[in-house]
Amino acid sequence: MKQKLISSVQIILQLALTTVGLTGQSYPGKPKIVRCRSLEKETFSCWWKPGSDGGLHTNYSLFYSKDSEEKIYECPDYQASGPNSCYFDKNHTNPWTTYIITVMATNEIGSNSSDPQYVDITSIVQPNAPVNLSLETKTSASITYLWAKWSPPPLADVSSNSHVYHYELRLKPEEKEEWETISVGVQTHYKVTRLQAGMKYVVQVRCMLDLGEWSEWSSERHIQIPNGESPPEKPTIIKCRSPEKETFTCWWKPGSDGGYPTNHTLLYSKEGEEKVYECPDYKTAGPNSCYFDKKHTSFWTIYNITVRATNEMGSNVSDPHYVDVTYIVQPDPPVNITLELKKSVNRKPYLVLTWSPPPLADVRSGWLTLEYELRLKPEEGEEWETIFVGQQTQCKMFSLNPGKRYIVQIHCKPDHHGSWSEWSPEMYIQIPTDFRVKDMVVWIIVGVLSSLICLIMSWTMILKGYRMMAFILPPVPGPKIKGIDTHLLETGKSEELLSALGCHGFPPTSDCEELLIEYLEVEDSEDQQLMPTPSKSTKMIPKETDSDSGRGSCDSPSLLPEKCRESHACPSALQTQDVRAVQENKGGKRSWETQCIASEQKILFFNNETTKSSTWPAAQLPNNQLPIFAYHSTVEAHTIILSTTNVNISSVLVGNEEKHQSQYPITGTVHDNIEKQREMEKFKSDQITVQVRQNRQNDKSPLLNPKLMDYVEVHKVKQDEEPTVLLKHKENNIKTEKCSVPGTSKEYTKVSTVMDHNILVLMPDSRIQHTSVSQEPAMETSQNVQKSQAEKNMSYCLTVPSDCKRETSGSEYMDPSSFMSSFK
Amino acid sequence: CHTSGMLTPNGKEYAQKIPREELTHLILRLLQAWKEPLSNFNHHIEHHQELPDDSLSKAKQISNMVHELKTGVEKVTEKMQSMGIISNSLNGMASSEGTGLSISNEANMMSDSDFIHCFRRDSNKVQSYLKILKCRIMPENSC
Repeated sequence: MKQKLISSVQIILQLALTTVGLTGQSYPGKPKIVRCRSLEKETFSCWWKPGSDGGLHTNYSLFYSKDSEEKIYECPDYQASGPNSCYFDKNHTNPWTTYIITVMATNEIGSNSSDPQYVDITSIVQPNAPVNLSLETKTSASITYLWAKWSPPPLADVSSNSHVYHYELRLKPEEKEEWETISVGVQTHYKVTRLQAGMKYVVQVRCMLDLGEWSEWSSERHIQIPNGESPPEKPTIIKCRSPEKETFTCWWKPGSDGGYPTNHTLLYSKEGEEKVYECPDYKTAGPNSCYFDKKHTSFWTIYNITVRATNEMGSNVSDPHYVDVTYIVQPDPPVNITLELKKSVNRKPYLVLTWSPPPLADVRSGWLTLEYELRLKPEEGEEWETIFVGQQTQCKMFSLNPGKRYIVQIHCKPDHHGSWSEWSPEMYIQIPTDFRVKDMVVWIIVGVLSSLICLIMSWTMILKGYRMMAFILPPVPGPKIKGIDTHLLETGKSEELLSALGCHGFPPTSDCEELLIEYLEVEDSEDQQLMPTPSKSTKMIPKETDSDSGRGSCDSPSLLPEKCRESHACPSALQTQDVRAVQENKGGKRSWETQCIASEQKILFFNNETTKSSTWPAAQLPNNQLPIFAYHSTVEAHTIILSTTNVNISSVLVGNEEKHQSQYPITGTVHDNIEKQREMEKFKSDQITVQVRQNRQNDKSPLLNPKLMDYVEVHKVKQDEEPTVLLKHKENNIKTEKCSVPGTSKEYTKVSTVMDHNILVLMPDSRIQHTSVSQEPAMETSQNVQKSQAEKNMSYCLTVPSDCKRETSGSEYMDPSSFMSSFK
Repeated sequence: CHTSGMLTPNGKEYAQKIPREELTHLILRLLQAWKEPLSNFNHHIEHHQELPDDSLSKAKQISNMVHELKTGVEKVTEKMQSMGIISNSLNGMASSEGTGLSISNEANMMSDSDFIHCFRRDSNKVQSYLKILKCRIMPENSC
């Protein structure tokens, strides 16, 4: 039984194996690491040989660990050294560790790994063989030497050239078998002395780093050792040159002498002559040369020159060389190069370079004419700039950068056939930096000024940062509903909200629905001072402290017109600066943001830091305190520009953010206003054209011209032409006041109605003491006015920026609300 | 070269030694000697199809230049003679005409390359002689 079992198991196993073997697919065979090698001890590569691949595609991966570390790494580079290799670059190579390397072959079925290989870098170092082996024989004193030269093996990483190789040379005669090996040391050349003449030798060289193995032998080089007993080789004539077109020299190169001392002779003949001459002078120009002096030099004739080498065994003649002296002129470089720095007319320095022709050249007789060329480059530069100068011996150079160093060189050539001379020795030029004091001063001033400006600006920013910001970036008014407190909204008490709306007596009527004017209640403590002359009227003003008692702008007596009245007394020149200051002020204050709070008296403080910008009609008076404004933000935005002191017109702009986000007033309107105001001032007796700008939603709000709040009386209306309301200058008003001519004219009108949104219909009215209008009656009258809208004697188109200009009959002021209501 | 027969100084010293009149005369003779051969040459190469047009125009240009140069030198010579810088002794250009004819006959027999070679050399000669002459007569002029 047992045996049966065993045998059956065996059979099954065999079957399995055979089936596996039959199908031909199995896990891969074991790879084998063939060798590992390092070229220079900084990198190394390993190659492996794959085992059988088991019939399937096999992936090979190499894993290694160092010394006794546990961590296993994978090969960093499978490509660099070819297939089935792994290349370890500098970063992965550590010469003092032992690497344990295994290669794993993996295919679909399974994997197999090789035996681990222990690799110690220092032991696997083997450089490449040396290259560029060159051999040369030299014979001197009948002894022939062999000069061998080579180069170290090239490395991919050229920077690491600090390797010191030891070399070994071996040679043997061609036919022989045995090599003679010579240890050379670290040099890359060697002189072999014991040579057999007449034999052909083979030479090889190899190298080794201080540890590791010898490289392979380099490729073979063959050399023939000259036989001592042979005629010399043919010499060759190198060149012939004439430095000054009067003499010339020829040089030749001897071939190898056949082991014996060789004599060279130069022979020449001239064109057209048969006679052969020998070189007149072998010495002057050095060894292997021949110097022809003036006597022996003829021009425009061709020389036929040959050199003969003779030794005991025989002689050999070089090839003939034909020379016409005119064409072989190569002068010496120019001399006496001098530099001079000059200043041109506009103070720019330029360089004058002068030189002289070479001393031997006879330029003075015109025999030899030279042309010059110079080249220069900045010291650090790469390329030379070449300038052809011609026959002159000086050059002016303008295009040089101050402060830089330049290198300059000159060479010359005969003007006809001939060749360029050598470059003269380098000449260094240093261009002085032209640092004019004036320039420096200018820069210093500029620097100081700019720093000052920066300081001032930063100081201003710090001090008035907020206001500046508001000036530059006027705050966007949030929507405001008059009478509604956002707090109320937040708290969500609708009751209060409604009460806020209702309690104020906010006239829900159409009267005030479209309040276009937000009147400003101005409270000024110094009432008396406000209006000297029309003090009575001004008194109204203080009394006008109409707190926001729910009347709404319609009813509030504290209207700008009143305020305008105040300014009535002070005719003064409008100062735009003030107005601007006002704006500035406003911007800073963000007083626009104030909301109409139910049952609150809104007091707008236009605080001007500067009295100048106390934008207040009241402020027109000197020493005015700042006016206190109360204003209700009305439906529409009105902007009241507060003019500053000494401004005839103080216009107050009250921003109404109620329903829209109107921007502030608009300088344009101010300016407009201002201009008008100015006009008004100028033409005292003139009629003033006033333009009321109706404030509509999102429009610019009408400018309540404080000056006109002075109740500029409507003087006349031109109906036919441009319907404009002509308002009398307030000064005139004064006069007229005094004149007190009743019924003089319908100089005061009250607004009866407003039509077309920009036409203010004023009711002409008998003149009324404008000085003694009290608010209350004014109110009444205004209301009367309202009621009597129908009546219109004159209709005006008012585009006044200031509401003040509207006069209402019987009242010193125009109740903006009165006509506001009719603005539909 | 057909002008080889002319005895010309072949060195600086010789050129400086011979009298100015002779030098001037020599220059003129040289220029004269080339007048005919150049025009013949131009005719000759016009029929060469393979030469580029540049060469033909250049050759014409050169012969014009030689002619103008000769005229110029003649004028200068006259001026010099009138100013007394050189003597009037050698005014016999007519005699050189005769030799010129025979010379030009020789020139016709030269090959083109020899022709050009000879012309190059002789033009160099003329240039050198003129320069030396210039510096001898007016030494202050960039000499």
